[in-house]
Order: sequence, then structure tokens, then C-alpha cells
Amino acid sequence: MTTVLLPAPPAEIPPLDADPEAVRQCGSDLLVASAQVDDLGTFAAGPARLGDWDGDAAAAYHEGIRPTGRRADAASLALRGVAQRVDAHADELESLLERRVGLADWRLHLARHVADLRERVASATADEAAALRTEADALRGEVTSFAGDLARWVEDVGAEEQAMVLAFTRVLTFEQVEAAYGGVADPADAALATRPPAGASPARVHAWWLGLTAAERAAITAAAPEAVGGLDGVPARDRDAANRVSLARDLAQLGAYAEAGDLTRDEERLLRNARAAQEAVDRIEDGVDPVTGEPVVAQVYLYQPGAFGGDGAVAVAAGDLDTADNTAVVVPGFGTDGASAPYQGDRAVRLHEAARSLDPSETNATLFLIGYDAPDNLPPDGLDAAGVVTEQLATAGGERIADALDGLRALRPDDPTHLTAIGHSYGSTTLGHAASDHGVPVDELVVVGSPGLGGEVDSVDDLGVDPEHVWAGANSRDPIAHLADDGWLGLGTLDGAGLGSDPVEDDFDANRFAAEDPSRGPGPDLDQHSLYFDHDTESLHNIASIVNGDHGDVRPADHVHDPWHGLPEDPEDDRDPTSPDTLVGR
Amino acid sequence: MEVVPASVGEACRRWDDERLHLQSAADGIGAAPTDGFTGEVAGTAGRFTAAWTRLAGDLGQDCGRRADGLRTALAEAVAADEDAAATLAPYLREVR
Repeated sequence: MTTVLLPAPPAEIPPLDADPEAVRQCGSDLLVASAQVDDLGTFAAGPARLGDWDGDAAAAYHEGIRPTGRRADAASLALRGVAQRVDAHADELESLLERRVGLADWRLHLARHVADLRERVASATADEAAALRTEADALRGEVTSFAGDLARWVEDVGAEEQAMVLAFTRVLTFEQVEAAYGGVADPADAALATRPPAGASPARVHAWWLGLTAAERAAITAAAPEAVGGLDGVPARDRDAANRVSLARDLAQLGAYAEAGDLTRDEERLLRNARAAQEAVDRIEDGVDPVTGEPVVAQVYLYQPGAFGGDGAVAVAAGDLDTADNTAVVVPGFGTDGASAPYQGDRAVRLHEAARSLDPSETNATLFLIGYDAPDNLPPDGLDAAGVVTEQLATAGGERIADALDGLRALRPDDPTHLTAIGHSYGSTTLGHAASDHGVPVDELVVVGSPGLGGEVDSVDDLGVDPEHVWAGANSRDPIAHLADDGWLGLGTLDGAGLGSDPVEDDFDANRFAAEDPSRGPGPDLDQHSLYFDHDTESLHNIASIVNGDHGDVRPADHVHDPWHGLPEDPEDDRDPTSPDTLVGR
Repeated sequence: MEVVPASVGEACRRWDDERLHLQSAADGIGAAPTDGFTGEVAGTAGRFTAAWTRLAGDLGQDCGRRADGLRTALAEAVAADEDAAATLAPYLREVR
């Protein structure tokens, strides 16, 4: 009989029953509450103090609110600290769960090896004994090494649990909160005092933000999310964190007003915009990355529900703006305001899906940018004569869009993304103004369903973008695209009543791409204006290919020609539309 | 007699708003999920959210008391001064 000392089977791994995402949600909820408590402290120290009220009652009031403010300040710091610790706990749980998976794989391998060795030892001859002993010794060493790693993992789990419990228990009462945080300055205040002045370049803001400590950035995110949520130059992931605090706080507080049954008209619009922004986030996060099968990441890049007289400004990305190889920014047009966010979110997801699907080797982020005051009225409900068929809003909006694109570009000075700006409808007019009036730092400029890029833009040469990278798509049945000037006489904006030259005309000299839809009828149809971002359309296929920089995959279309002796001629009028697959493998 | 300016009425309404804000904060804390923590932590997490639901609620009640105090001052001013009544009376109603 052969004698070989076999190693003991590796020990069982204790379970780790935890849900990091639920833990993260807990942290988020606590952080939002801390922001609300912080607001009370700010109110008590500022607007609640009434400089025009004198006398004994006033003195008693001011004396009385001082402790309220102090308690609120201390409580907000305490709650914020716990919220951030909970968020870090979620990260640590994810790490521990990953380590457990690795340990489980290792343990399975060792257990099989031990069992296999046991079987071979049982039937081994004397000649095989020496080799088996050597193998057993080596395996014993591995099992011992595994036991060491397992012990460290168990120890780390226990230490993390204890640290989390301690963070919870050290501030369970007002007395504990006061002892730990009473009179403590909020690190957000000192950090905000160093913020670059309004109008500072995104690059300067970027440098400032990265120069803060992690604790200072986290403090600002919780205490003053509105200070950085729309600040160009702040990384997208940090803007997202700040804007989500603002959004959740608005939903909670305005929702409370609504439940109390008394919303002012302005508050009604704020709540409408907040709910629309949340719906857009939800719809994007409901999307599935066609390459990985994972949910699409959403980033709230801009959230200002009261902007533009209550119309609201909001921008949400499908994908990670801080890391994507290719970034697309969609500037929408007619009828767009904060309430349009879910619709625009759907478009962003579809473009994101198409771009990912058509080139799985690269990563993408697709941002819809409701970031200027767009004309409210959409045909056939009515054309806002003051807003739609003139350029006033596009002129003002162009500066905002140019600033936003500058901000996106500044995010990654050392790792530039391939940046594409896409203007749809009146958004193309606004994008045209952004480019021609201010310059835009984009790699590709795309317009679809365009009524013109502004009276000063007669050709690609007026845009300040490499003409090889200016693209235009127009469905031949889209009546909005027909608003653009095809006049051989060059009437331009018809003294303010139009929006500029037709970007798909030969004289304009953009790269025209195919954008017909199989559903088109014989004549103009407003529905065709809204199909450019639908799956399995020529338009979406071509836009996604441009976004990915895959110019060879773009299907070109012949330009509109406007002869002196007759009406404009569009070669796309009688071409049979195709339906390319934009979501491969669905 | 002490003059009570309209800013007192505005502040009164803001304190009412803050009361609602803190109540919504308390509700948010109470709704924060604690079932994602391990068994070793979940109980403490639950005690924490319960305690802070009360703490935030207490802060909200404090805000309510500030609003009530200002309303008392407003009511006294309205009762004592007809000229002030026109300006201040609308603030006596607790809007929310």
C-alpha cells in the first residue's frame, strides 16, 4: 500500500449576503436628505434673518433661530458623512464580492485537485509514491495559501462591517451629532470660495475641480449641487452626482408641495420638468448595451428646471462622457423644452444603441442637450412666428451650445474624444449659429431635417469646421427641411422670415447622406421630420457611422439642385428608400 | 408699538416651506433601503434610519414652531394696526 499524506480539502467560504446597489441607493437617499437639511442651515443663517425688523419680538426671533441653524448645519454634516461612508461601503462590498468569486473559483479548483489526488493515491503503485508525495506537498502549499487568503478576506469583511456599524452608531442622537459636528465649518464653503469667477474658461474650471480634495468635491456635491451641476469643465461623473442630488431633492420637495395640495404655477412647471428629467434617466437606464448586454449608463449632465422662464434646461447622456471613444451631442429643435426630456432620452438611447451595434470595438456616449430656449410651437399646432421662422432664439442659443461643446472638449485634454454635434430641425439652425458665430471644437458636424443654418451660412465654408466633416441629411418629404432656402436667386432669410440656405443643396457643399424612410408617401408629411433617429432608418445608420468616424459606411445621397429655370430638383424624390439594420443581432 | 414688516410674512412662509422640506427629508431617510447590507450591519442601519427619521422630523417641527411664532407676531400686528392689516393679513393663512 502506498502512503501519501494528502492535504485537507479547502475550507468552505462563508456567504456574503449583500446587495451593493441597494446599499448605494441607501447612501444616495441619505445624501439627498443631507442636502435638504443643509438648505435649512443656509436659510437660518441667511434669508431667515430679517434686517428690517426691530424690537423685542425681533430680537427673540433672531435669538431663537440661531440654535436651529446650528443644529441643521451639524446634522447635515453628520448625515452627509454617513451617506458618503455608505457609498464607500457599497464600493467595498462590490470589491469583497468580487474577491469572493475569485476565492470560490480557486477553492473549487483545489477541492477537485484534492479529490483527484485521493483517487490516484488509492490505486497507486509503490513506484508512483514519490511523485504523488511531491504533488501532495505542492497541493498542500496551495491549500495553505488559499486558507491565508480566505482568512484575510473574512477579516476584511468583518473590519468593513464594523467600520460601517461604527459610522452609523456614532451619530444616532442630536447630542452625538452636536459633539462631533457642532460648530464645524463645512468644507464645501472654503472650497467654493476658491471657485473660478463666472465666465472662466472650462479648462480653468477643470483644473480647479481636480485641484480640490475628494472630500471637498464630495462636500460641494452634497451642499451646493447647483453650483457645479451645470458648470462646464467639471467632469461628467461629478456633474451627474451633483445633478442627481438636485433632481432627487426637487422631486421630494415639490412632491411634498403637491401632496399638500398647493403648488404655484412656477412650482408646477418645476415639478413637471423634474419628473421629465427623471423619466429620461429611467428610460436611458432601461436601455441595454447591444454589445455587453449590460444596462446603459445614464449621466445627468445638466439639470436646471427653472431655466428659460420655466421651460427648463436638461441634458442626459447615454454612456460615459468621461471615457467614451466617440461622443455625440444632439441639439433638438422645434417644440423642445424640459418636458421633452423623455422623448429626447429615447432618441439618445437609439443613437447610442446604433453606434455601439455598428462598431462594437469602440465605446460611445450620446448626449441630448436641451440647453437653449427653443421655439415652443411645433407645426401643425402652429408656427411661432416670433420664434421659429426667425433666428433670434437660434442666435442666443448658439452661444450656449458653443459653450457647452467647449465644456465637453475641456473634460478630456489628454484623452480627446471623437466629438460629433448633431442639430435636428431648429437645433441645426442653433448649431449653425454656434459654429459660425462662435466656433465649435467638433470633429464632425451633422444636421438633419434642417430649415437652414442661419442667414450667414451659405456653405460649409462659413462654419469653421473642416468641410470634409460637415454632413447633412434631409428626407425629401420633410416639410421642415423645405423651409430652407433653395432659391436660385439666393433670397437667404427673406429679410428675417427664413433660416438660411439649404444644407443639402449642391451649392452648400456638405456631405449629403441618405435619409429617406420607407414609410414616406407621395408628398410632404410632417411625420417624416421625426424619423431621423428611428431604428432601421437610413438616417440613423448614417448618423451612427459618422459618430463612430466610419465615413466609409455612410451612404451618400445626391444633392438638391436648384436650376435657374425652374423649381429645386431633389434626386432623392424618386429613389427607393432602404431600411438598414441599426441594431445588429437583436 | 413695534412695526412688523412684510418680510416677516415672507419668512413665515419660508419656514413653512422648510418644515415641509424637512418632513420630506425625514420621509426620504425612512424610505432609504437597508436590506442591501449584510446581516451584521442591516439592523444598525435600520436603527440609524429610524433615529434620523425622527431627528429630521424634529427639525421640521422646529421650523413649524418658527413659522407659528412669526404668525403670532403678524396676528398681533394685524389686530393692533389697521394699516398693517392690509399688508400682513394674507400671511396669516398657513398656505402649506
